[in-house]
Amino acid sequence: MRVGLFVTCLVDLMRPSIGFAALRLLEAAGCEVVVPAGQTCCGQPGYNSGDSAAARALALKLLGEFKDCDYIVAPSGSCAGMIRVHYPALFANDPVELEFIKKLSGRTYELTDFLVNVVKIKNIPGRYSGTLTYHDSCAGLRELGVQAQPRALLAKMPGVTLAEMRESTTCCGFGGTFSVKFGDISTRMADKKCAHITQTGAAAVVAGDLGCLLNIEGRLRRNGDMQTRVLHIAEVLAGEYGENAWK
Amino acid sequence: MEVTAMHFRRKATEKLNDANLQQALKKLQSRFVDSRATALAELPNFTEIRDAAADIRERAVGHLDSYLLRFEREATARGAVVHWAEDIEDANRLVVEIARRHGVRKVVKSKSMVTEECGLNDYLASVGVEVLETDLGEYILQLAHEPPSHIVAPVVHKSKEEIADLFEEKHRRPRNTQITEMCREAREVLRPGFLSADMGISGANFIIAETGSVLIVTNEGNGRLTTTLPRVHVAITGIEKVVPTLEDASTLLRLLPRSATGQSITNYVSVLTGTRGKDDPDGPEHFHIILLDNGRSRLLGTELQPMLRCIRCGACMNHCPVYQNIGGHAYGWVYPGPMGSVLTPAFVGLENAIDLPNASTFCGECAVVCPVKIPLPDLMRHLRRRQVERHLRPWSERAALRLWSWAAQHPAVYALFTRAAARLLHRLGGKKKSLRYLPGASGWTKGRDMPTPSGRTFRELYQARRAS
Amino acid sequence: MSARENILARIGKARGSSITADVDGEIRRHQRGPIPPLAGDLVKRFGERAASLASDVVQARTITEVPGLVARYLSERQLPRQGVCWPALAPYGWHSAGIELETRAARGDDLVGVTGAFAGIAETGTLMLLSGPETPATVSLLPETHVAVLESSRIVATMEQAWDRLRVERGALPRAVNFVSGPSRTADIEQTVTLGAHGPYRVLIIIVG
Repeated sequence: MRVGLFVTCLVDLMRPSIGFAALRLLEAAGCEVVVPAGQTCCGQPGYNSGDSAAARALALKLLGEFKDCDYIVAPSGSCAGMIRVHYPALFANDPVELEFIKKLSGRTYELTDFLVNVVKIKNIPGRYSGTLTYHDSCAGLRELGVQAQPRALLAKMPGVTLAEMRESTTCCGFGGTFSVKFGDISTRMADKKCAHITQTGAAAVVAGDLGCLLNIEGRLRRNGDMQTRVLHIAEVLAGEYGENAWK
Repeated sequence: MEVTAMHFRRKATEKLNDANLQQALKKLQSRFVDSRATALAELPNFTEIRDAAADIRERAVGHLDSYLLRFEREATARGAVVHWAEDIEDANRLVVEIARRHGVRKVVKSKSMVTEECGLNDYLASVGVEVLETDLGEYILQLAHEPPSHIVAPVVHKSKEEIADLFEEKHRRPRNTQITEMCREAREVLRPGFLSADMGISGANFIIAETGSVLIVTNEGNGRLTTTLPRVHVAITGIEKVVPTLEDASTLLRLLPRSATGQSITNYVSVLTGTRGKDDPDGPEHFHIILLDNGRSRLLGTELQPMLRCIRCGACMNHCPVYQNIGGHAYGWVYPGPMGSVLTPAFVGLENAIDLPNASTFCGECAVVCPVKIPLPDLMRHLRRRQVERHLRPWSERAALRLWSWAAQHPAVYALFTRAAARLLHRLGGKKKSLRYLPGASGWTKGRDMPTPSGRTFRELYQARRAS
Repeated sequence: MSARENILARIGKARGSSITADVDGEIRRHQRGPIPPLAGDLVKRFGERAASLASDVVQARTITEVPGLVARYLSERQLPRQGVCWPALAPYGWHSAGIELETRAARGDDLVGVTGAFAGIAETGTLMLLSGPETPATVSLLPETHVAVLESSRIVATMEQAWDRLRVERGALPRAVNFVSGPSRTADIEQTVTLGAHGPYRVLIIIVG
């Protein structure tokens, strides 16, 4: 099966290792992976700021880039959710485009959901030893039902001990531009999330969305916590994390 | 009520730093979040009931005139007088006319958010009518001259010490911080009010078209006292509160108390129909029902129509992580939290409440817990679209978004920008691999570091890998 | 144009040409929504639920036992043995049980009120009281202690069943239908539930038969 990998704009800019980890996982699962070269952004920043026209333009661009793929997979619940749930809403009044968009959306998956429910990956390439805790990113959880899947994959890793935090499903406070526009509120929400993480005693916090991870890491470090690792689920599963992962 | 929603930002920051409020807000978790979950777990067919509840409300909202007309007919046949008010001025004027007609000098009130919209208490006071709030929370607010901060638990923001101080000052009795004693004190102070009032004013949780009835849910008993003892009862309600039948009300009653406070049923559910019969030993001689529009009909036929399904349970704000951190007063009007972020701009004007629909991460929890399936994040997003269409956003923000969108549609340009940005951020982050300050993003860096990237974008690395 | 006309016009315009609701048909059918399954003995369920909502529940085989049960309840709690009652409950030998009850509506200083109930709803442990010439609403509301005498045959599963009973037995709704689920309560102070707000502090339900 031909899988188009949509790495997401945040991963592209801020943490390519996640993109390579996703690539490694999909290949380990036996997929033929293509990475359309011109991919940029799914359009969510514009969409959530009220600029639907811009979002539609980016949706059509993405449609063009990925139309020959059997599946589109993104290491992000919010971007996968944008394509899967919100793209059809964007074209609700354009029946012609809607038909193409729906086909695209119907084939779009968040990474762990794809690995568990579509390709049913058996062997996890990564090795990890220690306790970690998992934060349920909002869009993945509530738009796509991603909750059991990452835990099922972590359970296949013999060295992993999962310590659930209190309120793992409570928003970390990222929310895209919210994190800058309403920084005080966002910081307080991040602070509470960090307190729950710290309470578990886990050596690392893991999530499926880089926005959440940047937010959480930013607050941990500002609070003086330099120890707790902040990792994307793909990095843990693929065994690629850290500064040199992309080499 | 006066609108202060335009000061949301400043007030939100104040509330984050208000230690008393932060302590009080901790109670939301067990009292509202956990108890709701427990109460709903008792309903094996909860999903079915919720679907039915959403249908009932959507159907009612979709044919509001038919049901309101039937309600008016039935209520009138039982001796009630039904009035229609376009806005709060109409409503206030009607109440005063009714009060004058019946020689009313003293009013007791049970809790009604609609009367908060109207600023009714102040209006009545200005024409010399004495008003006594009887719901304990609202009574406390009346003493403190404060607005409610939650639609179900109006003084969730106050500690018992603060309330004890108020009682000591206003009741001129020794200070008491034992909660049961404080409640008894309030009972003793308020009871004479019930017994001597000329008129009782209430809201309505629902009005029932089938029977022309007003349905009120309370726990304290003040709702019953207010609508039984005085000789005049005035019920004020938003026009959207109509439901077709008694059975529909029963379905909604399975979800309203559970969603609000985790109770399987509120202590009292009163279904009030018409005036006292000639042989009835109690009940009001006169029953006036005011149907208030105040902007509700203008939501019909728009993307905001689903908001009219709201049954005022408060579950959305109880579960909203933003509300949980800032409380209700920052939202600056009657309705806080997610539902307030839609209703306030809708009723008082988007330009007066710009920040409300924006102060959300769209985590989606409000939509998950809404018993009538209102898609709150979608409605807030619609209001964000309206802001853009009406040019209410700062030009710098629109320019930045335009630039982003344009660049994202041109991969070569985008690649240039992002490669430059990745290198710059990497350089600025240095050995620590993070930044403590980022111009243009001080909202982030005031409270958090910004982890910096490795210096190369995924796309360029991937291209390089492919080439080698 | 009056407010009424303006409002109705706006609503009608927004509704546009969508079919008007068949209000008459809907009301005639008064279809029930989904009902949660309720297994087992309704009387038992009613008692358990009412108790969980802080009512005191006792059972009596016949109504003649009621005054004795009430007398015991009141003296156990050192409560005064006087109050008011509905006419239907007056003839059952209260005086011999040491309780003085007047048959009238309650006043602000009455301490005990004895009523019957139109029905009991097992789903939630709720009493259904109807106002009327022989059933003043104040008797269950003003006094600190409310005693409700409920015939076990009048316990139904759900509020929907209670509405049907009301339709069959009475036709129209009385001025007030009050569903009562225990002593009055408030949690307005620090979200701490406190029993005894403006209504009764305690409710004794005697299930008869």
